[in-house]
Amino acid sequence: MASPPRTGRFALQALVVGAILVVGVGLAIFGGFDLVGTGQRVVSSLFPPIAVTTEGAKIRDLYTIVFFIAVVIFFVVEGLILWTVLRYRRKPDDYELPPQTHGNAIAEIVWTVVPTLIVAFLFVISWQTLNTVEVVSANPDQKIQATAGQFQWTFSYLPADYDPNAKQRKEPLFTQIVAVGDDGGLVIPAGRTVKLYLESHDVIHAFYVPQFLFKRDVVPGRTNVFEFTVKPEDAGSTFRGQCAELCGFGHRLMLFDVHAYAPADFDAWLQKQIATANASPTPAPSGGAAGPSGAPPGGPAGPTLAVTALNIAFDPTALQAPADTPFKIDFDNKDPGTPHNVAIHEGSPTGPEVWKGEIFAGPAKKTYDVPPLKAGTYGFVCSVHPNMTGTLTVN
Amino acid sequence: MATTVLHPAAPTYRSSLYDWVTTTDHKKIGILYIVNSFIFFFIGGILAMLVRSELAFPGLQIMSDQVYNEVFTMHATMMIFLFVIPMLAGFGNYVMPLQIGAPDMAFPRINALSFWMLPLGGFLILLGFLTGGTAAAGWTSYSPLAQDRPLGATGSGQDLWIVGLTLVGTSSILGAVNFLATIFKMRAPGMTLFRMPLLTWTVLVTAVLVLLATPVFTSAVIMLFIDRNLGGSFFDPANGGDAILYQNVFWFYSHPAVYVMILIAMGTVSEILPVFSRKPLFGYKAFVFATVAIGALGFSVWAHHMFTTGAVYLPFFSLMTFLIAVPTGVKFFNWIFTMWRGQIRVATPLLFAVGFLTMFLIGGINGAFSASVPVDFALHDTYFVVAHLHYVLFGGSVFGIMAGLYYWFPKMTGRMLNETLGKIQFVLMFVGFNMTFFPMHELGLSGMPRRIADYSSTAGWNDLNLVATIGGFTIAASMVPLLWNVFLSLRSGPIAGDDPWEGNTLEWATTSPPPPYNFDRLPEIRSERPVFDARYGPKAHGTAAAAPAEH
Repeated sequence: MASPPRTGRFALQALVVGAILVVGVGLAIFGGFDLVGTGQRVVSSLFPPIAVTTEGAKIRDLYTIVFFIAVVIFFVVEGLILWTVLRYRRKPDDYELPPQTHGNAIAEIVWTVVPTLIVAFLFVISWQTLNTVEVVSANPDQKIQATAGQFQWTFSYLPADYDPNAKQRKEPLFTQIVAVGDDGGLVIPAGRTVKLYLESHDVIHAFYVPQFLFKRDVVPGRTNVFEFTVKPEDAGSTFRGQCAELCGFGHRLMLFDVHAYAPADFDAWLQKQIATANASPTPAPSGGAAGPSGAPPGGPAGPTLAVTALNIAFDPTALQAPADTPFKIDFDNKDPGTPHNVAIHEGSPTGPEVWKGEIFAGPAKKTYDVPPLKAGTYGFVCSVHPNMTGTLTVN
Repeated sequence: MATTVLHPAAPTYRSSLYDWVTTTDHKKIGILYIVNSFIFFFIGGILAMLVRSELAFPGLQIMSDQVYNEVFTMHATMMIFLFVIPMLAGFGNYVMPLQIGAPDMAFPRINALSFWMLPLGGFLILLGFLTGGTAAAGWTSYSPLAQDRPLGATGSGQDLWIVGLTLVGTSSILGAVNFLATIFKMRAPGMTLFRMPLLTWTVLVTAVLVLLATPVFTSAVIMLFIDRNLGGSFFDPANGGDAILYQNVFWFYSHPAVYVMILIAMGTVSEILPVFSRKPLFGYKAFVFATVAIGALGFSVWAHHMFTTGAVYLPFFSLMTFLIAVPTGVKFFNWIFTMWRGQIRVATPLLFAVGFLTMFLIGGINGAFSASVPVDFALHDTYFVVAHLHYVLFGGSVFGIMAGLYYWFPKMTGRMLNETLGKIQFVLMFVGFNMTFFPMHELGLSGMPRRIADYSSTAGWNDLNLVATIGGFTIAASMVPLLWNVFLSLRSGPIAGDDPWEGNTLEWATTSPPPPYNFDRLPEIRSERPVFDARYGPKAHGTAAAAPAEH
């Protein structure tokens, strides 16, 4: 590189090789050189998912407009930069200075006014979409409260005349305390307007469903509200939801499912849930529901172990039980509004699950019947909070 | 002001350790800033590699959730507060007094004080790794997560973060006062405001931003400290405080801080493009006004970080955010038309400057998506935002920093860096950067939230995360040719001479490295390019074809 007139050819070649490398590696990874398929995948990966709500569809339309303006600006300006750098390289015989242009008032005005018009247009269409997305009606078809806590979601189905600002808030009809799975999650009627009230009792979380193209923070001390309508054709689908605001070590575990039911199915489901909730009034002390492998009633009674959950921690964290004998766990959940349970895993809290107690929100107590266990070391853990652990020694 | 003792001009980096620790010479302090920033850059880079390693495959492989939160919190804290901001302050420290023909900063001892607070502050923040865990609530440390409560930020890590950042913030404020006093009071005769080089202008605007915004940040973290340790309840709703208030106060500083992190890099690029195109900067005054406009608008957009809180007036902040694109666009066209019809020498500083243009453009364009409030509802707190901020802070600031490093290294050391190694570094960094951060747009669009240590293997994020990790290690590899280049150059690099690039501004009118008192004599200052005028004669400054001959 010691030759005095630097032509810069090496650098440009390197730049071109670099660009080809990026594209090549991208292509290879995306689709094994299937160009058409790869092209489609690359383009569709630059768009958000197809929206399942009417509001999300408007946001996606807006995204598409912004995207195409962005693509045009990208190619025009990048093209201008690259062309300028390639075209006006210094040649070995360039001894005279190039024209010393200091500026051009008309050009400055043009490239001030044109971007101003573009951003003004973007602002106006964004504002218009915002006004349609943010509409909140007085009488939605269904009111639901999503409550976020470290680290789980619960969903309460509210009476039609619920008002979060009332002096005495109306009690929910029924609360779904398991956030994931076919038997849990946020169940909503497709085609109907759902108004969601967001409440947090600890730190800030965010309600986020990628296919809604929407998120809203869940802030302690204030009730955020938004409305959405899942399109009728998406009845029967399940959408993945997740907390989007860092809320501590369990942030990534704050998943939830959204099940969209056809309106008739939803009504039937809700009536059934309300009936079940009323039939078994808040956790009866002796109503300990055993897990999938419930203990046969009337077996030889083992000891009763007392476990308390407070501040997302077990006390005590070491338990002892006799081998091959069913025993009971008196579980006292002292965390208000926070669901806990006790689940027993082989070897350590992350080992295979051997038994799982019912999850319920505190403050409440429940007595679990645990089936006989073989001698050995077990871990016990809260299914909702994987960092709540303890050890159980069976001998 | 400064009592300058006349020494013979020995290469500054050969000074004794005692001399480095006690120096009040702005050039040595500038080099201290730069070296210190690079140390924290490498620490932050190692933390970034830990993050990318954990995310390369689904499943928790190398650290727990809690440690992951500590690692990305420290990564951002190191990169923002202890690398980018002080690095650019280092350029300001070294170059700005030379550019205005001053013998030193206005307050040399305060200058030394503001530097020495930085390593101490950084050390305190990192000390958490030895005291049971650093801060882990993200570099934003939102309340109530950063409060001292179960599942919040128990332990001393968060307090060390607050104390460390208070020192770093105080360092910034002292530095800003020093910059302002130097620029307003110590310019050489003839150096009017509108003849100041663009780097000096960006230092000036940055100093104003720091002076107005940093005290607000310092007060925010001190209030957080009071909440945590002295029974306060500013930001904790459980005790009647307001969680959103913290975000307002925090972003009132931290959004202008984004401009603190980019303006001097813009100034650096604005120095390099004219020199390597052999043309004056196109639209000097428009550029100055655009810089001032960005600084002013920067104070009215903070709540665009809070669009999803449901607690801010969305249209206002959306409009102001969009408007910032206008002065930034003006700058882009001025940069491009500076090179237009020039004679471009494709050396490493220019390559990094062009890298800045091409990548920062993407950071501007993908920022417009988030300025559109409804689109931001979809993108906020996803990897799309991670892509955006890295296109601004890495594609913008870091490429600008590298450009400045290659440009001013000969002035600082008297030695040239090797061009081939520089270009290898550029290609590795450019390719690695795009491999790392471009896929993050797609991850974010498909719904991957920020700040999660793990993701489901069925979510469809496996391939893109692996590509990003490979790209991340490519960036790390690009540091090898840089370090090797610096080592070779200091040991046996070619002698640079006073003015290896045919520069325009006064730092090239003195020896490399300059003597402690900076100048034996100054050329006449009749334009913003005094060294150019001295080289070619004042007639060359404008041509008959040029539209406005005189500013």
